[in-house]
Amino acid sequence: MLLRKMWRDLMKNKTQFISIFLMSFLGMLVFVGLDAESSGAADSVESYYKEYNLCDLWVMGAGFSDDDARMASRIKGVKNVEKRLALTGTAEKYDNAYMYVNYMDSNDINSLMLYEGEPFDPEKDGIWLEEWFARTNNIKVGDQFSVKVDSTRTEGIVRGIVDAPDYVYFVSEADVMYPNYTKCGAAFMSNVMYPDPKNIVYNQLLIDVYDEYSDDESVNVIKRKIENKFDRDDMAVTDRDQNLSYATFDAEVRQHKAMGIMFAVVFLAIALLGIVTTMARVTAGQRTQIGTMKALGFSKASITFHYVSYGFIISALGCISGSVVGSIVMPAWILGMFRGSYLVPDLHGTVTGLDIAATALAIFVSTLVSFLSCRKELKDPPAITLKPPAPKKVRHSGLEKSRFWLMLSFSTQWNIRDVLRNKLRSLMGILGVMGCAMLLICGFGCFDSIKGLMDKMYGELMTAGNKILLSSDADADYAYDLAVRYKGQMIEETSVEFVSDKVKKSGSATILDRGNFVHLQDRKLKPLKLNENGIAMTSKMAGLLGLKEGDRVRWHLVGDDKWQYSRIEQIYRDPSIQGITMKRKVFEDMEYTFKPTSVLTNMSVDPSLVDEDEVSSVLNIEGMKASFAETMEILNAMVYVMVIAAVLLGVVVLYNLGVLSFVEKTREMATLKVLGFNSAKIRRILQKQNLWLTVIGIAAGLWAGWGMLYVICTTVSDTLDMFPILYFPTYVWSIGGTFLVSIGVNFMFSGKVKSIDMVDALKGVE
Amino acid sequence: MSEEKKTLIEFQDVCKKYVQGEHEFYALKDASLTIDEGEMVVILGPSGAGKSTLLNLLGGMDSATSGHIWFDGEDLTAFSDNKLTKYRAENVGVVFQFYNLIPTLTAYENVALMKDIKNDTTDPKEALASVGLADHMHQFPSQMSGGEQQRTSIARALAKNPRLLLCDEPTGALDTDTGKEVLKLLQDMSRTKKRTVVMVTHNSFFADIADTVIRVKNGGIRSVVHNESPKDADEVNW
Ligand SMILES: Nc1ncnc2c1ncn2[C@@H]1O[C@H](COP(=O)(O)OP(=O)(O)O)[C@@H](O)[C@H]1O
Ligand SMILES: [Mg+2]
Repeated sequence: MLLRKMWRDLMKNKTQFISIFLMSFLGMLVFVGLDAESSGAADSVESYYKEYNLCDLWVMGAGFSDDDARMASRIKGVKNVEKRLALTGTAEKYDNAYMYVNYMDSNDINSLMLYEGEPFDPEKDGIWLEEWFARTNNIKVGDQFSVKVDSTRTEGIVRGIVDAPDYVYFVSEADVMYPNYTKCGAAFMSNVMYPDPKNIVYNQLLIDVYDEYSDDESVNVIKRKIENKFDRDDMAVTDRDQNLSYATFDAEVRQHKAMGIMFAVVFLAIALLGIVTTMARVTAGQRTQIGTMKALGFSKASITFHYVSYGFIISALGCISGSVVGSIVMPAWILGMFRGSYLVPDLHGTVTGLDIAATALAIFVSTLVSFLSCRKELKDPPAITLKPPAPKKVRHSGLEKSRFWLMLSFSTQWNIRDVLRNKLRSLMGILGVMGCAMLLICGFGCFDSIKGLMDKMYGELMTAGNKILLSSDADADYAYDLAVRYKGQMIEETSVEFVSDKVKKSGSATILDRGNFVHLQDRKLKPLKLNENGIAMTSKMAGLLGLKEGDRVRWHLVGDDKWQYSRIEQIYRDPSIQGITMKRKVFEDMEYTFKPTSVLTNMSVDPSLVDEDEVSSVLNIEGMKASFAETMEILNAMVYVMVIAAVLLGVVVLYNLGVLSFVEKTREMATLKVLGFNSAKIRRILQKQNLWLTVIGIAAGLWAGWGMLYVICTTVSDTLDMFPILYFPTYVWSIGGTFLVSIGVNFMFSGKVKSIDMVDALKGVE
Repeated sequence: MSEEKKTLIEFQDVCKKYVQGEHEFYALKDASLTIDEGEMVVILGPSGAGKSTLLNLLGGMDSATSGHIWFDGEDLTAFSDNKLTKYRAENVGVVFQFYNLIPTLTAYENVALMKDIKNDTTDPKEALASVGLADHMHQFPSQMSGGEQQRTSIARALAKNPRLLLCDEPTGALDTDTGKEVLKLLQDMSRTKKRTVVMVTHNSFFADIADTVIRVKNGGIRSVVHNESPKDADEVNW
């Protein structure tokens, strides 16, 4: 019988229970979904790294001999050492695609994972190609493939299609910072393919340590030992966290986890508030029933169990179905989008113990909350519960004693009291609206910030319409001629390694010749004139190194063993490239030769220029913007999730509230009607309160949305220095959208005012 | 009683039918009656007889299935929703069995509320004083006894200066003594202020205080009796 009663009670309050269900569902869907996705991604990549033996340390330098390798392998904890020559070049036949070229004499570390063809063999000639590049460029095993490094061309037959654990994520140096694996690939071959195999000079040592030594601390010890043993200035040892491929994937995964927690907290908080208000209402409305049940002889425990099971059943249904659906749908969806950005074979979701624990915890907390919220009605003896409820305590607040109070209209007074009396419900309304506005602001803000970033990169910081990228064939004279012909500015962009007291970081150096196409901005984004006599460093790089203006930094060009010790004259801010910038003169004063890598111009570029050996490609500003925008797919998807979640959240919470307060006020509204208030007037009274809560909620939401956007922007990656930007339309859309949701939901109830049956409502209390 | 009586209300063959599935049920059937201005009328009958139905029709809170209801020469059954609202706001004061005060407003504010719908209202303080509640003006309904709440609701009805005061079991939730006070207030309204008061009750003792007693049973009007010398409310006992 009690079960039947429960069913009827649930049906009677179905909107509230449905919204609790939905919130639990959504909360767990997003949390478990993102957690299963990110844990799965982490698991997949971890087992990939393990199976194909990703190295623990990279030693990079100008040249390593067999002796060097032997010396490294004698260090305690080191299991194996391999030599590699890693170069970059272009695949001319494939639109001058950027190629990472690796020569090796064995492949036990960073082993290739074979999709097709024959396994790597150091004795064999031929080329092994990265899978995505091969597939999208339609290259098959057995095809002839050639790659040009500097001015030498290496040609060979494609022996295999592979993936490599150290090539999960990579970008071409000339390109923007988002990967495009169709235009940037990786090739692996035996050193027998090197033009002069006898005199090959390796520039990398890959260090593999024993499992017992693979924790962060031991790896660090080994790292320092290597540095000490070699004691060479032209050498850098980097661990996995400093490796772009490893670190980028790792950061992405961690960001998804954080995102999942944030969403879950918002939704579950609302579900809990829903449980509190609904259960309190259900039990308060059934005071006499509870008394009767007690008088009939039901034990307190069984009555408690009866009411608590409402909250338990609903939240269990919501949480469990949310977890199940989330763990299936979200990983498939997001990991699907991962595929174009990260080259990890077999990405799949994993449900972790944490997911199960979180689901159980959410159900437990919901049940506990429903117990706490109905305990009040349950603890009184039947004699008391059978009587009508003791009147709610009413106090005149300080405000009501002031003269100001008397000046307020009736509807204002009524609404203020109503809000104060139903604090929890009002809070829930504000939270719902806030969440809605917050998600909208943050979602649209992501778009704005990316657009702001692009506008800044291509238009403010770099004002040239075209960028002519020079190949390594181009010498300074050639570049100079081009610059004259196109009234352009020559620049050199190269890789640099920085060292401060604590850390070592790789970044880039930009050297500017005369011209006015590259501009700097200070921390406050005000124009900054580059110093004539020193170097300027990006604020993000300075932050990573723990340095500030006036400090000195040790650095050297990658591939050059000469170390510099320079004073940081200026700090500037750059969204996408972290490192230093200096004038050509400063660079040459350090006794380097200026070797331009590109020419910036505003004139239109002769299309046939690309055919010249010295030019690798010509990028125009719109093209750069477009290819950048294309790569933000994952972020776009997140934004859609946020917008959908925002609207759902708003509608569900406000509708739930609407039902609650409408049901509660039906009698009052009927009374007002009988007294002669017309429906429109009653509607206006109700809307007033709604409007207040909406305005407060939106104000809080704007603030919270900005905070959320700030966090997303500043944590997005090590190399991106994104600043949160909100354009005017975003405010309009977010505020307007939230209002629309709020007013739309309210409208559904306003319509009902007209249909309140005065006679029915006045028949007396239930 | 003087002879210059003016008819305020007239029911002409009024029916109220409820349909539940195949089943038809008349809560009121072919009811006809007249009520004069300034009269104190008691509608008497057992529970379920149709008394509330009759009163609700009179107050424009419910619509008749057939028949006509005339108020001061106008047909309520022909009124639009808006006109009915206006009719209630201008002419009708209602006192409910369960008071129906707005719980979030004080006694004073509940009465002052009437200013929002009508121009020539009595000062709320005066109205409350006239029901003996001058000292309770700033209490909330939950802080008042049943009798005080009911008197507040009478003050609220009176503040509008309605021509017609409708009361549905106004003493139903009160004890004898407080009930008597309420009755006395209502009788005063008709005697000294010349308001038309229509009171519904199932208590036949109340018949004694009315100018006219209308007995209702099974949805039909059984009798209409004019009382030549109504008793004072003080004298009734039950
Ligand atoms: N909404 C309704 N649907 C069906 N029957 C109703 C409805 N409202 C009232 N009735 C019936 O009409 C009859 C008269 O009701 P009412 O006028 O409230 O009686 P009372 O004389 O006790 O005030 C009762 O039998 C009641 O059951
Ligand atoms: Mg009745």
